Amino acid sequence: MSGYVEGIIILLFINGIAAMGVSLLTGFTGVFTLGHAGYMAIGAYTAAIMTVRYGIHWLPAILAGGIIAMVIAYCIGVPTLRLMGDYYAIASIGLGESIRLILENWQSFTRGARGYPGIDNYTNLPVAATFFVIMAVLMFFLIRSNFGRAFKACRDDYVAASLLGFNTARYRVLSLSISAFYCGVAGALMAGFLTFIQPVMFDLNKSTELTAVVVFGGLGSLSGSLIGTAVITLVTELFRPISQYRMLIYGAVMVIIMVVRPEGIMGQHELGPRFIRSLFNRKDRSPRTAEGGGGR
Amino acid sequence: MSETVLKLDHVNKYFGGVHAVQDMSFSLEKGELAGLIGPNGAGKTTIFNLITGVYDVDSGTILFEGEDITPYKTYEVIRKGIARTFQNLRLFPRSTVLENVMTACQQHYQYGFFEAASHLGRWKSLERSIRDQSMALLERVGLDALAEQAAGTLPYGHQRRLEIARALSLQPRLLLLDEPAAGMNPDEVQELNGLITAIHRDFDLTILVIEHHMELVMEICPHIICMNFGAKIAEGDPDHIQNHPEILKAYLGEEVLEA
Amino acid sequence: MDTLIQQVINGLSLGSVYALIAVGYSLVYSILLFSNFAHGGFLVIGGYICYYTLAAMGHNIWLSGLLAMVGAGVVAILVEKLAYKPIRERTNVTLYLLIASMGMSIVIENIFVVTVGGRFRALPPVIPTDPVNFFGLATTSAFDILSLGMAVLFLTGLQLFLSKTKWGLAIRAASYDLRTSGLMGVNVNRLISIVFFVAGLLAAVGGIFLSVRYTLYPQLGFITIKAFVAAVIGGLGSLPGAVLGSLILGLAEMLTAGFISSQMRDLVVFGMLVLTLLWRPSGLLGKQVSEKV
Repeated sequence: MSGYVEGIIILLFINGIAAMGVSLLTGFTGVFTLGHAGYMAIGAYTAAIMTVRYGIHWLPAILAGGIIAMVIAYCIGVPTLRLMGDYYAIASIGLGESIRLILENWQSFTRGARGYPGIDNYTNLPVAATFFVIMAVLMFFLIRSNFGRAFKACRDDYVAASLLGFNTARYRVLSLSISAFYCGVAGALMAGFLTFIQPVMFDLNKSTELTAVVVFGGLGSLSGSLIGTAVITLVTELFRPISQYRMLIYGAVMVIIMVVRPEGIMGQHELGPRFIRSLFNRKDRSPRTAEGGGGR
Repeated sequence: MSETVLKLDHVNKYFGGVHAVQDMSFSLEKGELAGLIGPNGAGKTTIFNLITGVYDVDSGTILFEGEDITPYKTYEVIRKGIARTFQNLRLFPRSTVLENVMTACQQHYQYGFFEAASHLGRWKSLERSIRDQSMALLERVGLDALAEQAAGTLPYGHQRRLEIARALSLQPRLLLLDEPAAGMNPDEVQELNGLITAIHRDFDLTILVIEHHMELVMEICPHIICMNFGAKIAEGDPDHIQNHPEILKAYLGEEVLEA
Repeated sequence: MDTLIQQVINGLSLGSVYALIAVGYSLVYSILLFSNFAHGGFLVIGGYICYYTLAAMGHNIWLSGLLAMVGAGVVAILVEKLAYKPIRERTNVTLYLLIASMGMSIVIENIFVVTVGGRFRALPPVIPTDPVNFFGLATTSAFDILSLGMAVLFLTGLQLFLSKTKWGLAIRAASYDLRTSGLMGVNVNRLISIVFFVAGLLAAVGGIFLSVRYTLYPQLGFITIKAFVAAVIGGLGSLPGAVLGSLILGLAEMLTAGFISSQMRDLVVFGMLVLTLLWRPSGLLGKQVSEKV
């Protein structure tokens, strides 16, 4: 396998892990975020600093990247996730940008805006694939459990959810923490893949991309998010020669999907026998007018 | 010796300048099937929202089984053993009928996060219990054949029954039904009457029904509380209510207009 | 002392430009209850129309400004008709509108990247920027005074429009309950178009002043994030709140730049957002939203 193809596959795995995190939060819990690149940044810098400065082995460094992102998300989430809807969306931009600004300005520790070079190339194909498979299995299991149903209830109707006995705030914070862990691990793997990281890699554009991928794939479909990641990552590579059109197409597709098929590529379905059957028998699709008032 | 399940004690609620609930007091004994009636905008649903902690009480206390539940958050109130349905349905329309009930039912079969993420430990047995219990309740309300359908695609009357099944799966001791007959035709109302009396009998419940249809309440509720403009205007058995001058005044105007 | 007064004037001036943007954004929010991320695009469009008409038709800022305002207003209406109307007519899930608006903002930004390129453009010197001695207390630039004055002018105009005209009253009624005003015989689609036109128009004014301050480039719309933050601090959907939040933010930014460090100003902005929301989750003047059950 050529290095180029291998690189793309590793990138697919890394982006897939981050997308699963955002999918849990936005797709399954209904919390719209525009700041998750910040958690990737935390994971990336944690792993970079731990391996380069302190000479720690990459495996604990990657896990630490995820855990530190998760702890920070928890601390941020407890107060801010009391906010509903758009308040949190705006706050998440602020949080994501703040993380980036802190990394840029904390020169002595992060080496600032010029970036952090010399990271070991620890993310090879087997490492990325192993992380991806384990984390995907855990996530698929999680959404098919009592927690998955609780998240979806908070998404579809948080008032009804609390009237079924769910502590909706707690589930939102939990969902945010898990999604930050996934993004943190993805960031840490990214650091070991690129061997050089810079705060600007984790700006608002990256956050938007993370959320866009989940929207493309279908809010509430984990496999959809992964398909969305694959499509976007590959299209990004294909369009590299005309990269100035890339973002334009990106934005247009985002609008068109919302207008034409807001449920995304997969709707809420998961790729599996039941989805394939539903392709042939579309009668059981719920009418659009009956969609819940989960937006507020 | 009967015990009091629910007791409202001089409860008041203001919305801006509007005194939406005025000095409301009543109590329900264990096993009662009571009706809360009154014209549109009388504050009936507000009472439910105050009991379930959706709104905060401005003054007064609400006791559930002797415990003051006024300071509790909604989910804490529900976990104490109160369940409710909604005037304008609040199902999860894109989830299946079964998932809707399972989502509520799981409150009594909680397993841990790591069991959920690994599908090890109690996951398998408890998921099975949740599913079986939910199917049993769906059977009870006659929706078991539709378990795999999206809840939003059900006809209106079925959705109302699904809401009742979902509330029951919380295993409440007090059930609050908010206009369960709204939008139903007379046949469906009759069927619903049967269902409410049956679950009242079989599940050892105290039930409070908000209703607009006087007939339904008069037929099934031996204890009726009538309110208008946020205040209680009468309380008693159907005979007492039917002949109460205040109620004739509050209701007749409206009934004449409706006719 | 000099620096303090100077930074306060700068801060108020910057804050008043934020206010022009935040008010339009908040107005849209009060009607449709979603956060219109494409709002920054309206500002960029206004800026570019102004830039090119200045070049093409002589340096007449009044004419160019008018064209920019109308142009941005029309684009705002088009964006609503193309992207938001089909969504809001089909569902009440505002998350879809939010995502569509995010897409729209990317589209507008990159239309300019693709067509005119990403380079920074300075508007011709049509707005005076000479230093002005401010009552002998401090020296500030004419531009700051002018942008403050224009912002006050337009915000007063908006206030008059909302309180004195038929459509203004309809808009205020719709901000309580859009659906009910539809039932009361108000043409909801026209009302929404007017709201978007006003929002686009005000954004264009803000865009022109920001292009003078920071030069013009496709990503200038990013600055709207600060206006969003201001609107959230003030309370989403509340117009006085948007103005108040903007002024606070402008002051905080300029005072930080003047007395601490210019690099810290964005951090201070976001820090204030988080602190405000912790203290008052619905913003300074926002109404506590409680959902009907």
